[in-house]
Amino acid sequence: MLRTAIVGCGKIADAHAAQLRRIAGCEIVAACDREPLMASQLAARFDVPQQFTDVGHMLAKAKPDVVHITTPPATHFPIARQCLQAGCHVYVEKPFTLDTKEAESLLALASARGLKVTAGHDDQFSHVARRMRALVRMGYLGGPAVHMESYYCYDLTDAGYARALLGDKEHWVRRLPGKLLHNIISHGIARIVEFLETDAPHVLAYGYSSANLRRLGETGLVDELRVLIAEEGRTAYFTFSSQMRPGLHQFRVFGPKNALVLDQDEETLIKLSGERLKSYAGKFVPPIRTAWQHVGNVATNARTFLASDFHMKSGMHHLIQSLYRSITDDTPPPISHREILLTARIMESVFEQLDRRSPHADVEFAAPGRLAAR
Amino acid sequence: MAQIDLRSSTVGLDDVILVTGAGGFIGSRLVARLLEAGFRQVRCLGRQPLDAKRFGAGAGRVEIVRGNLLSRDDCAAAAKDAAVIFHLAAGRGEKSFPDAFLNSVVTTRNLLDAAVAHGALRRFVNVSSFAVYSNVGNRRRRVLDESCPVEPRPDLRGEAYCFAKVKQDEIVAEYGRDRGLPYVIVRPGYVYGPGRDGITGRVGLNTFGIFMHLGGSNTIPFTFVDNCVEAILRAGITKGVDGHIFNVVDDELPSSRRFLREYKRQVRPFRSIYVPHAASYVLCRLWEWYSERSQGQLPPVFNRRSWHAYWKRTRYSNAKIKELLGWTQPVATADGFDRYFRSCREKRAHA
Repeated sequence: MLRTAIVGCGKIADAHAAQLRRIAGCEIVAACDREPLMASQLAARFDVPQQFTDVGHMLAKAKPDVVHITTPPATHFPIARQCLQAGCHVYVEKPFTLDTKEAESLLALASARGLKVTAGHDDQFSHVARRMRALVRMGYLGGPAVHMESYYCYDLTDAGYARALLGDKEHWVRRLPGKLLHNIISHGIARIVEFLETDAPHVLAYGYSSANLRRLGETGLVDELRVLIAEEGRTAYFTFSSQMRPGLHQFRVFGPKNALVLDQDEETLIKLSGERLKSYAGKFVPPIRTAWQHVGNVATNARTFLASDFHMKSGMHHLIQSLYRSITDDTPPPISHREILLTARIMESVFEQLDRRSPHADVEFAAPGRLAAR
Repeated sequence: MAQIDLRSSTVGLDDVILVTGAGGFIGSRLVARLLEAGFRQVRCLGRQPLDAKRFGAGAGRVEIVRGNLLSRDDCAAAAKDAAVIFHLAAGRGEKSFPDAFLNSVVTTRNLLDAAVAHGALRRFVNVSSFAVYSNVGNRRRRVLDESCPVEPRPDLRGEAYCFAKVKQDEIVAEYGRDRGLPYVIVRPGYVYGPGRDGITGRVGLNTFGIFMHLGGSNTIPFTFVDNCVEAILRAGITKGVDGHIFNVVDDELPSSRRFLREYKRQVRPFRSIYVPHAASYVLCRLWEWYSERSQGQLPPVFNRRSWHAYWKRTRYSNAKIKELLGWTQPVATADGFDRYFRSCREKRAHA
């Protein structure tokens, strides 16, 4: 039985606790938050026997095997390091760390101590993402990816998080190096990273504050971002937008033969065949095939729902399960260190480029930055 | 509005009165009422910048303090020298339990600590909600009043707001018991009036474009915003009521069916389907069962506890606010609904 602790008892900690309850072979033994009331509310609702306000005290008393770190990102690094030094495996919510240096340090420490680490890129483990991965492994693309497009949008008119951020000039998100982007884009970047083969792609970023945000007096937040990522034989576009509708969470990967389109919101996966049909057949047959695939997606989703395995955070459930299996079986973790590190590097490069110009300047691309191979 | 008799008041007109959530639906009207009553030092705390002009003629007597109740420093600055604190700020509308808890309970604890530290406080008015009542043990058609039990397991109601409000009331009572805090708790029913144009879930729910009418012949615990404000004000200044809880509902409450009929007639027509009480109970029970069985694939937002709290046939009493606070309803129920429907129509016309 793996003993799990949760550090940071805010909104995302609830999702972790709820998914942990669905996983056999583990128990939540401690909840820890600097604010004792927050630790107590999580402990009360999820029957967690011990609650703490200090991580060191929690590690010493509760002796967890795994610690889930769900605190604001600025604290990920010191808490994860403390947990690794105490011999605990760690699940670090996204974004993994504030910068590449911190990420390298944590991963090196985990390797040296033989401990497992994962970043909270749970969207990559949703049902539809796993179906896509299986098809890619079976060779559906016809070779390595040629081009990718990753959309990760966020609706700033959404109450809750957006209201809290926009209404609070001291909000912790504003103190992150990449501010709003830093807290959100790692899911969309990580999807691309999974298909990159080098550790030093070119990254070209352009971002600005939307007119809507500027009207609210927000000139320091970038809510429109376009990124071009390129390496030998492969390119990718990343789009983050608070304004475009529909606000997509979509990933498209094109191979030399076929392509796949994953829609996270609809949990659909559409195969795009590279085959060209002759004459008018090309106008009728492919739409029918696509329609039929949509029907298939509905059936798959319905089956998964009826099997009670279609939770909103099913990706997190699978990621936690995979991490725990890697701990008990001593197999590689579900997300490789390389992917965690490259995601951090690309994000850092994006933020550096945005820092070099005003977020609402006229369109002007900076010289492409090539990540230094490490 | 009825005149306030300050001879039997906990405060004088020159005492500092703090209102949290002063920019909100109830808070802004409470500030206006305090000014109308003659208070000369009304301090308003809000996260967003507030324009004192919105409070009308008495704006010069308003001190605007911008701050966040999650900051102990902001709480200390806001609570300094306050004789009465009307605590209306709360995490409304959050679906997340931790968010609602943080914005209701942690904030309240910070404010209580600041108030206790300053030592000037004569009354802490905690504005709670009818959502905290369990109503499970009450027989149908029984009166729900201040003696009724609060939800013993608010985490199982499936409603973050209820959970946070129960815990907020608990912490206020704890400070009263352990640290001698002079407090009252005010629990309004559904507060309506110009500026809030939604239909309470006690009447029904709009699901996928179909309005399911769940209230039927139930009485809905409405209170017009000005009537509610009058009760909150009196709870803050009336002597000898420390530690009391006050429910606030108006007289001559309409049934759900009557309200819905009038809403459709006066604001906009729409189709609704009546769901009998037995059917809504079975649906809630089924939802609860499936939520448990599927380990939360559907969140447990409908369950037997919520049915008892919102859709069981219940009557309501305002006898206690009349008896102990001398509350009389400043705006007649018929007048309140006229104003409300008119504002809904105007909003639709300008939409």
